Amino acid sequence: MADNGNVRKVYEILEKQLNQPLKTALEVCARCGICAEACHYYVSEPKVEHVPAYRAEQVRKIYRKKYNFFGKYIPSLVNAEELDEQKFNELVEMAFSECTLCRRCTFNCPLGVDTPLVMRVVRAMATASGKAPEILVMLADSAIAKGENPEIFKEMFIQQVSELEKELKELTGNPNAKIPVEKEGARVLYVGLAGAHTIIPPAIIFNEVGEDWTLSIYEAANYGVFLGDVERAKKIAKRIIDEAKRLKVQEVIVAECGHACNALVWEAPNWFAEKFPFRVRSIVELVAEYIQSGKLKVNPEANSEPVTYHDSCNLARAGGILKEPRLILQAVVKDFREMTPNGLENYCCGGGGGLVALPEYYEKRMRAGKPKAEQIRKTKAKIVAAACENCKLQLNDLNNYYNLGVEVKGLVDLVANAILYNRQKISANENQQANVST
Amino acid sequence: MTEQMKVDLVLDLKGLLCPLPIVKLSQAIKDLPVGAIIEGIATDPGVMADVPAWAKASGQELISIEQRDKEYRFLIKKVK
Ligand code: SF4
Ligand code: SF4
Repeated sequence: MADNGNVRKVYEILEKQLNQPLKTALEVCARCGICAEACHYYVSEPKVEHVPAYRAEQVRKIYRKKYNFFGKYIPSLVNAEELDEQKFNELVEMAFSECTLCRRCTFNCPLGVDTPLVMRVVRAMATASGKAPEILVMLADSAIAKGENPEIFKEMFIQQVSELEKELKELTGNPNAKIPVEKEGARVLYVGLAGAHTIIPPAIIFNEVGEDWTLSIYEAANYGVFLGDVERAKKIAKRIIDEAKRLKVQEVIVAECGHACNALVWEAPNWFAEKFPFRVRSIVELVAEYIQSGKLKVNPEANSEPVTYHDSCNLARAGGILKEPRLILQAVVKDFREMTPNGLENYCCGGGGGLVALPEYYEKRMRAGKPKAEQIRKTKAKIVAAACENCKLQLNDLNNYYNLGVEVKGLVDLVANAILYNRQKISANENQQANVST
Repeated sequence: MTEQMKVDLVLDLKGLLCPLPIVKLSQAIKDLPVGAIIEGIATDPGVMADVPAWAKASGQELISIEQRDKEYRFLIKKVK
């Protein structure tokens, strides 16, 4: 590679991350090719570059050059290769635009080869050598800036929330409905995303069940994860962990966002080697619990159009959140139709891994989303529900690109709609009774 | 404030949800010369927190940010 500093950095990252799972992923592969059909890129465009094992093999070549005895001295014997600038650029392009880290290949591989882990390491190498997509770096750094200087936005944020609170009161007809911000001692700290659409529906739900909750001033998204950059990811997560500790909450509830859940629920305890003094869960789990316990009464008539559900890769394959979305849908939707395959075997929408934030890869992600578009079309559903912001953005784009004629909604949107439907029915009944008695 | 300043580019960010407004903003600023002023108009209240943080992280100058009815308007000066 022309720039020796970069080569050094690339190998430094490899060395640093070379734990047992990565070693296994770099040394084990039966070359059976089963993973090909598991990858939505390959299903959409069956070419060798889209086979997961091919992707991992490109990294294995440089790994062997350094870590395999024959690779060092007779590289051709074991297909080992020296890393050069062009090869590295190709690896970076592949890791950021041709793998959404969806883990479907790993689940389908008879040996459980973790190709997305290998792609994550390439992302980390790219970030360390300044070759990661600038937009992802910018998004991660903006989130870190918020944590370091909350005064630059906090006042405006609180003002915005008070506007949203007015909207909430109007929507629910409940003059006492509230959106508390950073309330000390609340039971639940809800962490939304930037944008009203991730605050209003959960606020409707929390107010309906009388939850003792408060809103975080931060957003749950964590672009450090997409960069494979644990240091940045930790800084972004730490804002929320510190906030939760300061407010002494019992639970942190993460908005509908797959990678944010992955970061806060499953990765953060390892990053900080710490057992937090609070529980961290997805809002999907909490809402399912409200319904199951009878705390939240909803009516499936509220959402009468056929609905299908797209499992976010992070929630389903990384988090095992499979039953909860279905429990919610059975409760709030009249005609719920599964797409095929679903659950653990669901196809990625093509927008994961940070791709939806990278406009330069729009065409690539539309092509990669073709299997998902076909799955949706086959259900003949009118609404596609998803519990992940990235998925929703991608599904909306697929809807336009493939003329699917659907509407994309969050699970919490459907639940909030069911609550408002009940409220309208109650007030209609009350009006009727009042009319009868006069 | 907007009225007094010569705006070099108006970015229509209406209807875009997080993180797209700041993605579009950072793309647009790249093609402008230092000293240029961008006016952004968005409908997602998330920009009220995201744009100041983006300005801080990217070293650009946030001249103003305000809400007008259902829209959020901001002025950014490219300083580097
Ligand atoms: S399925 Fe597993 S073992 Fe087979 S080629 Fe793919 S990664 Fe290798
Ligand atoms: S993680 Fe997903 S996108 Fe990446 S290679 Fe595997 S199946 Fe393909």
